[in-house]
Amino acid sequence: MTDILLIALAMTLLYISIASRLNTYLNILIFQGFILFGVTFLTLTKISTVNLILIMLETIVFKAIAVPLFLKHIIKRNRITRDSEPYLPNFISLIIVTFITVATILLASSIKVANLDKTFFVVALSTIFTGLYMIVTRKKIISHVIGYIIIENGVFVLSLAVGNEMTMMVNLGIMLDIFASVLILGIFFNRIGDLLKDPDIDQLRNLKD
Amino acid sequence: MISLILIVFVSLFFTGLISRTKSLLSGRKGPGIFQPMRDIFRLWKKGSVYSVTTSFIFQIAPTVYIASVLMAILMVPFGNKPGLISFDGDFIMFAYMLALGKFLMIISAFDTGSSFEGMGASREALFSMLVEPAFFVLIGSFALFTGHTSFLEIFSELHYGTQISYLLGGLASFVLIMIAMVENSRMPIDDPKTHLELTMIHEVMVLDNSGFDLGLIMYTTNLKFAMYGAVIANFFIGMFPLGVSIPMFLIIQAGFAITVGIIESFMARFRMGHNPQFVYILTSVSLLIFFGVLLVLGKFA
Repeated sequence: MTDILLIALAMTLLYISIASRLNTYLNILIFQGFILFGVTFLTLTKISTVNLILIMLETIVFKAIAVPLFLKHIIKRNRITRDSEPYLPNFISLIIVTFITVATILLASSIKVANLDKTFFVVALSTIFTGLYMIVTRKKIISHVIGYIIIENGVFVLSLAVGNEMTMMVNLGIMLDIFASVLILGIFFNRIGDLLKDPDIDQLRNLKD
Repeated sequence: MISLILIVFVSLFFTGLISRTKSLLSGRKGPGIFQPMRDIFRLWKKGSVYSVTTSFIFQIAPTVYIASVLMAILMVPFGNKPGLISFDGDFIMFAYMLALGKFLMIISAFDTGSSFEGMGASREALFSMLVEPAFFVLIGSFALFTGHTSFLEIFSELHYGTQISYLLGGLASFVLIMIAMVENSRMPIDDPKTHLELTMIHEVMVLDNSGFDLGLIMYTTNLKFAMYGAVIANFFIGMFPLGVSIPMFLIIQAGFAITVGIIESFMARFRMGHNPQFVYILTSVSLLIFFGVLLVLGKFA
């Protein structure tokens, strides 16, 4: 069942590469949050109950509910237009994301470490690289934030692979989530939104004197 | 032999069932289920008119088209009963027989010298090119899963044990249904009812055909639908005895026709620029299915 959920996560990456509206990105983030909730429930069976409940609440409350709602509020408040404004056409994005997934499969099959769970490794790496690709090829600042959240989801999957042995690693990943979402997103983005009318990375040049 | 009889039988009713579903969903009663076949019989009684700008290719293309589709149908098995032609690697010949028919149709569209037909033919070539890796990766994954390379042996040895193989079977049927929609030029790739030449894909290739040839082309569309429905049904009926598998086959074909009717009633055709990425995503999903098969087989630790 864990494999099924992880393959569903890889399919959402393909969908993100061809979506053209910002609201679709946020709906995919909500869906990924629920998938991560399922994977956490099925994988982490050997840690104490308190830690498990904390981690599960974190995935549901933060990744699936709080962060997408907060981003929708930011989009509405700064009156950002619906389109995601990529630099490359969506067809090329789809080919590149497929190539990323195939390359991670080939990479994972040539690593000969004994205890590595390959499915987790492949899905986590492709999520991280796809999030990086999203940051590089989009014009709007809000898409960079969404790309960063996708990278965080990938790191979370990777930490779940070793979560049964090292609970501290998973907790550190959660702290990273809270830090990024609340501090960086909330404060930084609101300040930029007050200054620039239509957030665009070309206009960040206005910030220098 | 039994697959040929069943596919020809289903092809008589398939398009009628699709248009009946669309009419019922729009609130009307609609024509009968046999009505498209009556149109085809009427066309078969007429003679054809050939334009003076065309050469012999325009006259032989519809015949080669229906001949190639009939040859491809001879290779489709029925569960664990073989088709009339069956050898190792026959699914590759299946795909290329269909490609031969499609190639003749494309060059006959160019032969007429009309620019609209050439435009539609080049679009049709693009979508078929994008769909081809999806089909091969999908059937190749199942060949890897069962360890055999002939259609018959793949389908007769396909059994679903673990949970993930059910997911793969479901995903494979979804990809095959979408491949069938692309190859038969239905929504959401191509609207068979549009009258605007700039937006047609398959309909514009046959604008100059008339009479007996047009009847052949319309009947071949029905045959192709029934053939893809048979390939989809084969994923599920491999292990049942004949008494159970024939009703299951008919039910799956009817379900396929109703699904096509529902999709056509509720979705508009995509913008032409969005069509290539929609078709290519089938290849990406097939690659994920291949990864899933590697997982199931344990070749991926």
